Amino acid sequence: MSVAALNKVEMTPKDYKSEVPPVWCPGCGHFGILNGLYRALSELGVDPDNLVITSGIGCSSRTPYFVDSYKMHTLHGRAGAVATGTQLANPDLAVMTVGGDGDGFSIGGGHMPHMARKNINMTYILFDNGIYGLTKGQYSPTSRPELKAYTTPYGGPEEPMNPLLYMLTYKATYVAQAFAGKPRICAELIKQGIAHKGFSFINIYSQCPTFNLIDTIQYYRDLVYEVPEDHDPSNRGAAIELARRKETGPTAGKVPMGLIYQKEAPTLCDKMQEFVDNVGGTPDYDLNKIIDLSRP
Amino acid sequence: MARNDLIIRVAGEGGEGIVSSGDFIAAACARVGLEVYTFKTFPAEIKGGYCLYQIRTSSEQVYNQGDTFDVFCAFNGEAFELNKHLMTPGTAVVYDYPGGDFEPDLPEGVIGYPIPMSQTAKDLKSYRSKNMVALGALSVLFNIEEETLIRVLTDKFARKGDKILNLNLEAFAKGKELGAAHEKTDPYRVADPQGAKDVIIIDGNSAVGLGAIIGGLDFFSAYPITPATEVAKYVAKHLPKRGGTLIQAEDEIASIAQVLGASYAGKKAMTATSGPGLALMSEMLGMFTMSETPGLVVDVQRGGPSTGLPTKHEQSDLFLAIMGAHGDSPRIVLSVEDVKDCVDMTVEGLNIAEEYQCPVIILSDGSLAFSTQTFPTPDPSSFEIVNRKRWDGEGEYKRYEMTDDLISPMADPGTKGGLHVSTGLEHGETGAPKYTPENHELQAKKRFDKIKPIVDRYRPVEIQGEGDADVGIITWGSTIGVVREAVQRLRAEGLKVKGFYPKLMWPMPVEQYEAFAATCGKILVPEVNYQGQLSHFIRSETNIKSSIPYTICGGLPFTPAMIVERTKEILS
Ligand SMILES: Cc1ncc(C[n+]2csc(CCOP(=O)(O)OP(=O)(O)O)c2C)c(N)n1
Ligand code: SF4
Ligand SMILES: [Mg+2]
Repeated sequence: MSVAALNKVEMTPKDYKSEVPPVWCPGCGHFGILNGLYRALSELGVDPDNLVITSGIGCSSRTPYFVDSYKMHTLHGRAGAVATGTQLANPDLAVMTVGGDGDGFSIGGGHMPHMARKNINMTYILFDNGIYGLTKGQYSPTSRPELKAYTTPYGGPEEPMNPLLYMLTYKATYVAQAFAGKPRICAELIKQGIAHKGFSFINIYSQCPTFNLIDTIQYYRDLVYEVPEDHDPSNRGAAIELARRKETGPTAGKVPMGLIYQKEAPTLCDKMQEFVDNVGGTPDYDLNKIIDLSRP
Repeated sequence: MARNDLIIRVAGEGGEGIVSSGDFIAAACARVGLEVYTFKTFPAEIKGGYCLYQIRTSSEQVYNQGDTFDVFCAFNGEAFELNKHLMTPGTAVVYDYPGGDFEPDLPEGVIGYPIPMSQTAKDLKSYRSKNMVALGALSVLFNIEEETLIRVLTDKFARKGDKILNLNLEAFAKGKELGAAHEKTDPYRVADPQGAKDVIIIDGNSAVGLGAIIGGLDFFSAYPITPATEVAKYVAKHLPKRGGTLIQAEDEIASIAQVLGASYAGKKAMTATSGPGLALMSEMLGMFTMSETPGLVVDVQRGGPSTGLPTKHEQSDLFLAIMGAHGDSPRIVLSVEDVKDCVDMTVEGLNIAEEYQCPVIILSDGSLAFSTQTFPTPDPSSFEIVNRKRWDGEGEYKRYEMTDDLISPMADPGTKGGLHVSTGLEHGETGAPKYTPENHELQAKKRFDKIKPIVDRYRPVEIQGEGDADVGIITWGSTIGVVREAVQRLRAEGLKVKGFYPKLMWPMPVEQYEAFAATCGKILVPEVNYQGQLSHFIRSETNIKSSIPYTICGGLPFTPAMIVERTKEILS
């Protein structure tokens, strides 16, 4: 994210709350993530005037309404692409996208690889509850086959995807995973993600007690384990190995929580600026010079 | 028609240098002050395939590609056969013989000039200069100013080094010699040099790019699609000079989403596509409408539906541009007539999007995309540039404030005190969701009413011809250029015919349509699509209920002769 927007203000986590109270069900994991987000923004001193949060559609995509910042509530699956445009158009802004597993990995699944690959200088927080909450409980790309839901009365016919592997494969330069039941860890990983220059992706497990009745808060508590101390997040191979679901051994069937991978790399914005600099680009470049190239 | 108006068609296999020889002739004519209008068709395949380049040049302004050719240059037998039916007694045909792949059977009265193009190139051990041999012959036979042509060639080949330049010049000289050996028996000559004029020559797609840059574009998001890709090619090359950014997105949905995000950031943003891409953008265009965000899409139309005829001309996206939306989703739709218009209208499109905070679609088409045309060199300082209404920082900021002109001031992110949500949900003045029946009615009306004034503010629709007419022709897009010439010819014959050429397609200037129709006996509406899409809107929106559609959709534009003929049928 843009450093220009960091360390600008002294605000408590509460100060980032907008007047709109969250509309989520009691016990929804999204509350925990939101609290983590407030705390991360506060700890980094992010200037709300220079923060743009975009979202798509879903319960999680309502998040921007609850944060004091500039924000766009856009279309299902497209928020990351919208944020890409905002970031490239004004690199001084801090740009963030929030949304669900359906939003980011199903309908918007075609955009995720490219934000990662292009290393767009932004933060993407994915609220992964293994379900489509807003549309009242259909299975999502991260649902377990055991989930009997709206359109899967006999159980899920499909294998879930692995969000971490997906983003690592496409070379996201910051990949982390957290769980809504641990707001402090959420805050820490979001904070590091925001401070990271380049595309940062944070997958956060979040229980939906209303529609996903099998992925309970207790289920997630048992599912996650903290990334081992000796894990080297700059090692992509090790990160991929960590992200891989194991069938045997002590972490069989479990998922890591913490920083999985981080690497410094030029952002798309840096490269674009290079092109501009190479041609001596400036807003007052003489238009006649361009027009003259079309003389016969 | 004065015979200083000449049409040369060059055709053959893609990759034989058809396009470059056409470009050389066009540039040479333009350099000596002649008007040029070129027309090209390409195969949809990458390698080989039939390819055609037609140059129409005159000392007078040229509005279209013309009826048919006077001079034909056949690089191979296929090209000859495909064009044989268009040759009439007197047509001059230059063809590759002997040594080519065919021995033509010239139709009665057609004047042939065999030139051993392939053989000569082979003798020079420079197979790729076949087109230069043809060019040399054409130059001497049809009065294409030699000195200028050589200068064009020199400018072009100098970059490639002396060896290549000299080979090409040698082939050109050889072709000239071969041409001069023929006794000229046809009357066709390129008009004499007029003295250099202050013009540029550029294709329609590049012209859109140029317009975008003149119009103050900051951000362009592209996804390749024929026949629109060259817009991005031009912008990619020149926008960085102005400090702007072009990125290639993963699909058109991402392109238009990025345009939304960039525009929200306070920058002028656009994309260019063709029908299939515009169809993918439909949902996001609704988001522009709902969130009242400025954005511009240029649709270079091609034959559809589906993949259709990707490289061919059609004007069949009018329904999509105007009505291709979910919900009640107003937008402004403009169309372009010629290459000059591509520059002017793109500037205007950016301005209009800023002024009305809504999506704007410009319809160009496949024949303009690749057509190069001469027109006076644009003076960038002569264009008015409009910027969005921005919040003045006074009082409490409401993104969707109800103002007198219904345009709510915008606050770019970064503005102190301007925090707000821009949203696709129905909302009240602050942007907070609001679903009451009264509010939805009020906001829908705001979105429609705020763009209405454009109908009166926009320049009046151009009308060709005065007084009453027996037939009034209403048309749009590049068909306008064809109708202009047809109306000229018909009026020159003393027939009472007028033309009506709207550029603002939506919202429709209904009163102007009706006032025009009131002065005409019958209304003819030619357009290149199957359904008669403009005819449909004329019937549904105006009191003109008996207009006569004239539709073709064969992948080619109309010719003036077709319009003349159809008008005369109606008159009799
Ligand atoms: C184009 C389109 N298709 C479908 C929908 C309906 N829809 C809204 S939210 C949603 C899924 C939300 O699930 P997720 O992104 O996981 O968010 P959650 O509610 O679980 O936080 C769907 C299918 C829509 N809004 N737009
Ligand atoms: S439906 Fe599920 S995801 Fe949506 S607010 Fe309720 S608990 Fe949260
Ligand atoms: Mg979900």
